[in-house]
Parts: sequence; C-alpha cells; structure tokens
Amino acid sequence: MDAALLVPLALSVQVAAAATALGLPPAVALGWVLARDRLPGRALLQTLVALPLVLPPTAVGYLLLRLLGRKGLLGTESLGVDLDLLFTWKGAVLASAVMALPLMVQAARGAFEEVDPRLESMARTLGHGPLSVALRFTVPLARRGLAAAALLGFGRALGEFGATVIVAGNIEGRTQTLALAIFNDIQVGDEARASQALGLTLVLAFLVLLPVERLLRRRGAP
Amino acid sequence: MSLAGDGGLEVDLCIEGPRGGVDVSFRSEAAMVGLFGPSGAGKTSVLEAVAGLRPRARGRVRLGDRVLMDSELGVRLPPERREVGYLPQDLLLFPHLDVAGNVASSGRPGGEPTARVLDVLGLSAMERRAVGTLSGGERQRVALARALCSRPRLLLLDEPLGALDLPLRRRVLPYLMRVRDLYRIPTLLVSHDAAEVQALCDEVVVLKEGRVVAQGPPAEVLPSERVYALADARGYENVLEGRLVATGDGVARLRVKAGVELAVPPVEATGVGARVVVAVRAEDLLVATGPTPGLSARNRIPARIGRLRVAGGAVLLEASLGEGDGPRVAVKLTAEAVRDLGLEAGRAVYLVAKSSSFRILAVEEAP
Repeated sequence: MDAALLVPLALSVQVAAAATALGLPPAVALGWVLARDRLPGRALLQTLVALPLVLPPTAVGYLLLRLLGRKGLLGTESLGVDLDLLFTWKGAVLASAVMALPLMVQAARGAFEEVDPRLESMARTLGHGPLSVALRFTVPLARRGLAAAALLGFGRALGEFGATVIVAGNIEGRTQTLALAIFNDIQVGDEARASQALGLTLVLAFLVLLPVERLLRRRGAP
Repeated sequence: MSLAGDGGLEVDLCIEGPRGGVDVSFRSEAAMVGLFGPSGAGKTSVLEAVAGLRPRARGRVRLGDRVLMDSELGVRLPPERREVGYLPQDLLLFPHLDVAGNVASSGRPGGEPTARVLDVLGLSAMERRAVGTLSGGERQRVALARALCSRPRLLLLDEPLGALDLPLRRRVLPYLMRVRDLYRIPTLLVSHDAAEVQALCDEVVVLKEGRVVAQGPPAEVLPSERVYALADARGYENVLEGRLVATGDGVARLRVKAGVELAVPPVEATGVGARVVVAVRAEDLLVATGPTPGLSARNRIPARIGRLRVAGGAVLLEASLGEGDGPRVAVKLTAEAVRDLGLEAGRAVYLVAKSSSFRILAVEEAP
C-alpha cells in the first residue's frame, strides 16, 4: 500500500471522531426533545434538523462558508475573534458534524422512543425530578441506540465530501481526508492509489457498520 | 392517631376515562387499606392518581396533614415529591440495573438501608444478579424492596401477588405480612383476591365500575355475596392465621386464637412454630348442633353463632370459634338447614370441615 495514504486515513479518522464528539451532544438533546409526544412545533424542528439530509452537501458547505466568512454571522468581524476554521482540519470537522447531525438525531430519537415511558414515571415516583430522570434513567436505558447513533454519525462523517471540500478545501496533508483523496487521485488519473483508498474506505465502513447492526438488533435486551 | 398521621388517608378523586371514568371518595385510618373489586373497576387508576401519574385526575388526596393534591386549592405535587413507594402490577424494574441497583435507585436520601431491606426480603444472595434472570417471585420482592427503600410515607401496592402462580403466592405473601408488621408504613393495596385482602388488610374499600360500593373491616364487608361475587369466583373464603403445633399422618395442626386448633393439609418443609395462614370456603363448613362422634372430618370446632344474614336463597351465618371469643368465620347454609336445626344467634354449635377443605395461603418459618 502507498504509505502516503496513511496521512489522509489518519486525518479521516481524526476528523470523523472530532465531528462525532462535536455533534453527539446536540444530537442527543435534539433526539430527546423530538421523542417527546407533547412538543409544540415538533414538525418544524424535525424539518430543520433534517435539512442537511436533503440539501446538496455543496449548498450546506456554501452556507457554512458564508457564515464563517469575514462578514458572516460566525466571522471575525461579528465575533471579534478568529475561529480559524476555513481551510483547516477544524473546518472539516464542523462541516462533517453538520452533515452527520441529522442521522445522529434520527437514531437518537429512535433510541429514546424505545424507552418505556412508564419506566420514567416509575423513576419519578422514586423521587427523581425530570432532569435526573433524563440523565440517570432515560439516557442509560437508551444507551445501545445512542451508541449506534454515535457510530452512524462517525460513519457519515468519514464519508463526507461535498460540504468539507468547500469549507476546508482539499489541501494535501492538512485537510485532505480519504474521501477527498479519492477525488484527487481520479482527477490526476492515479487509479492505483484511488483503488487503494477505496479499499481502505470499504474496510472502515465495515468496521463501523457491523457493531451498529449488533447494537440495534439487541436493543431492549438488558 | 393512625399510622398515616391525624386524619389518616383521604382520597377523593375524579378521573376521566374511556369506560365512564372513576369517581371515588373514601377516608381511612387503617394501616393497610385494601382496594377490592373486579378488573376495570378503576383500582389501578386510583393508585396511579395517588402516585401523581394521572395528570388529568381532579380532586383531593391527603395523607395525615400532607396534601398531595387538591384541585380546588391548585395543589398538585409532582410524583417525585409525593413520597410514595409504588409497586406497579408489571413491576417496572429497571433493566439496565442489577438487583442492588434497582433497590438503591431512589432519589430520596435517608431511606431504609438497602442491605437490611434485601435481608428482610431474602434477596441478599442475589444483589449482583441482572433483573432479567430472576424468577417471578424474586422480581416481585425486588420491586417491593425498591419501594421500601425510597423513604415512602405511603406504600401503593398494585396486585402484589397477582402475577404469581399459587405456590409462589404462598411464599411471597409472608414477605408482605413481614413488611406490614416490621415497617408499619400506611399502605393502599389493590387486589381482586378476597382472601389476600383479608390476610393483609385492616380495612377494605370495594370498587365497582369506578364507584365505592362498600367499606369496612374485610371480615365484615367481604362475606356479603354482593361484594365477593364481584371479583372472586371461588366464593367467599374465611382466612385464619395460626402457629403450626404438630404434623404427621397427613395433617398439620394449627393453633389459632382462643386456643382453637385446626387440622389442615400438610405444609411442606416447615417446622413446628411456623406461622401459617389458611383459607376455607364459607360453603365448605358444616354446622352440627351436637358433638357428633364418628366423623372422618378432622375438624370439629366449637363455636358460637353471631349474626345470621339472608343472602338470596342462602343464609350467611357468622360464628366465633371457641367460646365466642375466637376468630370470626362465615358459614354459608340453606335457609332450610337453618330452620331445621333451629340455628339462632348466641347458640353454641360445632363447625365441621375436612382438613382438605383448607387451602394454605402463606407459610413463614419460625425465626
């Protein structure tokens, strides 16, 4: 194998892990909120969260680019500090996190919907307020589904291309992940390297999805 | 003052429901109150509303001087502040916690020490077991232990024996009796088993179609055909509690109050001194006006007739065992038998029964 592929491989894993860490907390919170029956405006929130699934990734990338640009809402002039995200690996993390969010929210919502609300009521009678019930009972009871949500998010982030290439560019050794490397190799006609990168992504995808299947199949088991 | 504090437990609830809803009102100073009635009578709804799990229930629930809810005053404590120990019918054990974790899952500090409760309920050896691997009786005891450890001022037990088969009930009932005697926590117990209510409760509230139809001491309220026929197909059973004094030759002998001895079926693996609770159907007791020698029936118990109540074509005769100072039992007779034998209040008679007419409800080994 081309040893130079190890750099985009490591970067892919690094970016995907960071994107999962960044996206999981809001995804769990949103999944929890969306799993509540009596939530006003649930359809609207659900639609907003799902937007990145439907929008072209390049459109999401362009939106982030506008937000992060010098005059954007998250730009240097508005915030007073330079987040230094554009064309860095951190930008790739943000783009991947945004793109992975809908999948993680969906999985987290499913995990919370599987939790028997009567178990939560039981915990209330034992003296736990709503926050304590959520943290000490709902989340642990949903832990298998939440782990699956994290893995799915990680998997989605590994494969992110469209938004990443716009926000972070395709800079070899700095922002070039495996997904970007394949695009690059095809552009320059290096089919051998593209095939090797393809093999790596296949192995990674397998490693990620296999435990997801196990987690979701055994959900509900103690 | 009762266990519940001054004024005892007051429940006055209106719960809307698909089947006409529930509209019940009762007040009790008893330590253990039974809610008895057929399924669909609204028993569980009442329990859930008292626990605070029925947000649309209206009315008033008060325990001693603590108001748990009062719609008129706009008071509605959330479930976590009601300080009730709830044992639902389907137990709702937490699948992600082991036995000790479930028992210690209370959010209220200062409850009973879990180790002691586990010991009282015979669970010490299985602290680290996953709840999914427990038997039905063990799961029941874990749920009871969890309720006890949540520092409850009121226990709410929903059919605590309902899901168990008969041999298992016999083993779990003594635990409930032990909890009742040891912890003395006011308790509201839902049951459709008249014998269970008699064995455990000081007072019973009878529900039918969401309304209270009778209330009083179980031995007085339940023998009425109108009441027991609501829920129990076996017919009214008298429940008696005693100590095992002898075994052998296919019978076990129990001494109940007033020096009366009963011959009952052998009790498995139990030594002399064990506490045994038995039940005998009102229609399985015979009345003899004389000592009647030469009977194969092992029980010939002196008794004195109390009240006679006509119930349909039958007469429900109440008698006290011994010289009239023993436990009260009900005997179901035909009006013809009462007339022919000249049975009337105050008369001394003998009650006759085969030992096999007695059903063992609970056995608790001597300490």
